[in-house]
Amino acid sequence: MAPQQFGAGRAVFDDRRIGMALAAPAALFVALAFILPVAVLLSGGFQGVDGWTLARFAEFAEEPLYREVFWRTVKLGALVTLTSAVLGYATALAIVDAGPTWKGRWSGLVMLPLMISPVARTYAWIVLLGRTGFVNQVITGLGLSAEPLRLLFTETAVFIGLVQLFLPLMVLSLVSALENLPADVVPAARVLGARWPTVFFRVLLPLSREGLVIGGTLVFTGSVTAYITPAVLGGSKVLMLETLLYQRVSVASDFASASVIALILIVMSVVTHALLKRASSARKR
Amino acid sequence: MSDPFLNLEQLSLGYGASLAVPSLDLAMAEGELLALLGPSGCGKTTTMRAIAGLLAPRSGRITLAGRDITRVSANQREVGLVFQSYALFPHLSVFENVAFGLRLRRVAADEMQRRADEAIAMVGLAGFERRLPRELSGGQQQRVALARSVVVRPRLLLLDEPLSNLDARLRLEMRSELQRLQRDLGVTMMYVTHDQSEALALADRVVVMREGRIAQQGSPVDIYERPRTAFVARFVGFENVFAATLPGRLQPWLDGQPGLAWRPRGVVLGQGPHDGKVLGASYLGESVEVLLQTDAGPLKAQVAPDGPRCVAGENLKFDLPMSSAVALES
Amino acid sequence: MNGMRAAGALALGAVLLFLLGPFVVIALAGLSAGETLAFPPQGLSLRWVIAVFGMENFRASFWLSLQLGIGSTLLALLLGVPAAYGLARYKVPGREAIRTVLIAPLIVPGIIVGLALLRHAVIPLDLGVTWALTLAHTVLVVPYAVRVVTASLDNLRTDVEEAAVMLGATRLQSFFRIVLPNIRSGIIAAFILGFVTSFNQVPVSLFLTGPGITTLPIDMLTSMEFVYDPSIAALSALMALLSIAIVAVAERALGLSRYV
Repeated sequence: MAPQQFGAGRAVFDDRRIGMALAAPAALFVALAFILPVAVLLSGGFQGVDGWTLARFAEFAEEPLYREVFWRTVKLGALVTLTSAVLGYATALAIVDAGPTWKGRWSGLVMLPLMISPVARTYAWIVLLGRTGFVNQVITGLGLSAEPLRLLFTETAVFIGLVQLFLPLMVLSLVSALENLPADVVPAARVLGARWPTVFFRVLLPLSREGLVIGGTLVFTGSVTAYITPAVLGGSKVLMLETLLYQRVSVASDFASASVIALILIVMSVVTHALLKRASSARKR
Repeated sequence: MSDPFLNLEQLSLGYGASLAVPSLDLAMAEGELLALLGPSGCGKTTTMRAIAGLLAPRSGRITLAGRDITRVSANQREVGLVFQSYALFPHLSVFENVAFGLRLRRVAADEMQRRADEAIAMVGLAGFERRLPRELSGGQQQRVALARSVVVRPRLLLLDEPLSNLDARLRLEMRSELQRLQRDLGVTMMYVTHDQSEALALADRVVVMREGRIAQQGSPVDIYERPRTAFVARFVGFENVFAATLPGRLQPWLDGQPGLAWRPRGVVLGQGPHDGKVLGASYLGESVEVLLQTDAGPLKAQVAPDGPRCVAGENLKFDLPMSSAVALES
Repeated sequence: MNGMRAAGALALGAVLLFLLGPFVVIALAGLSAGETLAFPPQGLSLRWVIAVFGMENFRASFWLSLQLGIGSTLLALLLGVPAAYGLARYKVPGREAIRTVLIAPLIVPGIIVGLALLRHAVIPLDLGVTWALTLAHTVLVVPYAVRVVTASLDNLRTDVEEAAVMLGATRLQSFFRIVLPNIRSGIIAAFILGFVTSFNQVPVSLFLTGPGITTLPIDMLTSMEFVYDPSIAALSALMALLSIAIVAVAERALGLSRYV
């Protein structure tokens, strides 16, 4: 019998059909249960009376309340990110400085809040910032104010809550970046006569830049797409995009606005995640 | 070879778009120890994986013990493979690693115990049954890999670069172990290596491969003493290859042309019809290696340390006696 | 350097106080002996912690969250483990695209997922509340399953599977006897991660809960508006303790941080 001919050489794991069959259920599931419904929802933002239109977006942009909510969300996101960066660096530097055993422990402690439900974490602020809360007790007790201050349902409250929620992400990201620095960089700079501000801005900051970007995008995305904290600490007085979305749907069944808000949130999230991917793949190189 | 045990006929192998092995014909007798020798990329590992069944050929046929196994899946070919990295199952003990194949074949518990223990003892690891792979040294891991493959009585045992990960001393040890094992079990063995001394020391027959083709095959003596091409000659230590125009002026050798080759040992320094200039000399303890520049290219000679001292820049006469030459076809 | 060290230590202390303080506050408030939510608490007692176990609505929503967490994570693993294996070991066309699809739920804010599922899956298909929640939570957990298991698989060499095949194993046998045992800790890590994510999840479930059927975090959220006793604080403290305990055990046993 003469030797036969068959298709292109295949190795054990070249049988793509098996690979596809294994991945198909999950892919189909996510496609049907997630991508499809979300796509349809988003397309609702483009629906007009006679078909495709950008009118919904225009209407959204014209409504002063919505504009206010949008800018507030972006503003708070930026403020939270900035504050996290500053506090994050201070914390990360202190952690990295500590000995090997303590480094792990401090990191663990910083990571701990991430494991706790945001509901629990945010609720504590109600206890602390309420009219009869701890902070007000201290303030009135010390005579700093005659009346208890209204601390809840303010942008400040939401700001504080968000920082508490997302700071650990920034710290961990920075610790990771700072740990990967060449060991002698700081002593080298100091030997050359640099003082601490210079060491920080000229040496540490540029070298840990990728960690900052990663942490920053995580914090920004998280803050901008947060629900629980704005809902609990801001209520309907301090609306952010997600609480606005919830309100529009549950109170007014305004699905058009919901779609527009959804689109804005997704765009912001996707853009920041794309930045994140670029920053972290740059680091891997 | 009439009725070979293993027969590769016009085997064509490649990954994706590239063709690693265009058309290979190779036969093996039962009980033979064959070495596939060649530089990296020559197709030896590809060929072995095809025989193992881990790579499907583009065309051609593979027959083993009279059975066409070309389209038989790897797990049913009765071919064993010892991986270069040993590939022990990290979560299983030495015993469980060795017994793995027996378990799959649903061998009865007491027979399985007996055969596994036997195999473990045969590779000198009695007492190590409970250990995990990560607790073993490289040499020990390899023995487990051997025992594991051998216990299921394969018709053909393949070994991928079996000695390259070991240090020099272990290498010598394992070499004799492998030889002993093959003799005692009578298993047909093929292994792949890029190390000529390994191939020559172990094999009954050596197949030298280059760019997907067989350059030469024969007994170790054949290959070592009578290489037929410049490629094979250089591989086994004939570092000086020139055009076959002697006696007369020394000419550089051109690819495809017949040639003459000398080992560094075969060069005579200090006298002779040719002129050369010393580029450098290295003292190697048992000998001195001298590099000469000639009209036909560089020349490497190896002389006794008590011979004439060669100084860089010095002009030296040398001779290439025909008695130590080997004639090359191409 | 010592001045910087001291400043750094101060910053670290302050930040840790800021991050962990509220948890302590909540715990203490929950241990209050008094009738109303207050910090500092008026005396310490376990009465509210015990009372919480007796509250029917919280028991029901806890039970639902628990079942949801386990169910959706198991489903996500059932889908995600083969997918991760198929994509890691086989040259599937469009592999990166498929991976992106599987990770996509991480990028979209949960509330959008919930709303989209409600309007375009749950209502048209007339799904019950529990089914809807299970669907949504599974979608959310699949990316974790895929990512963690993929990391595990990357650490396992392929020649070990080939060795199994050479010894006579079919690919299925190789998967169950060789691959699975070696990625077991990865799978457990994925399970824990998925469970915690599902259990604490709020936005996705917001639109999908129904009258009388709600998850624990949402139940707590809605109760916050009209409950003024320390029960929610006690519950928060309990939940927090549960999360910490699970993760601590996982970290001890598996080195969870390797997979995240």
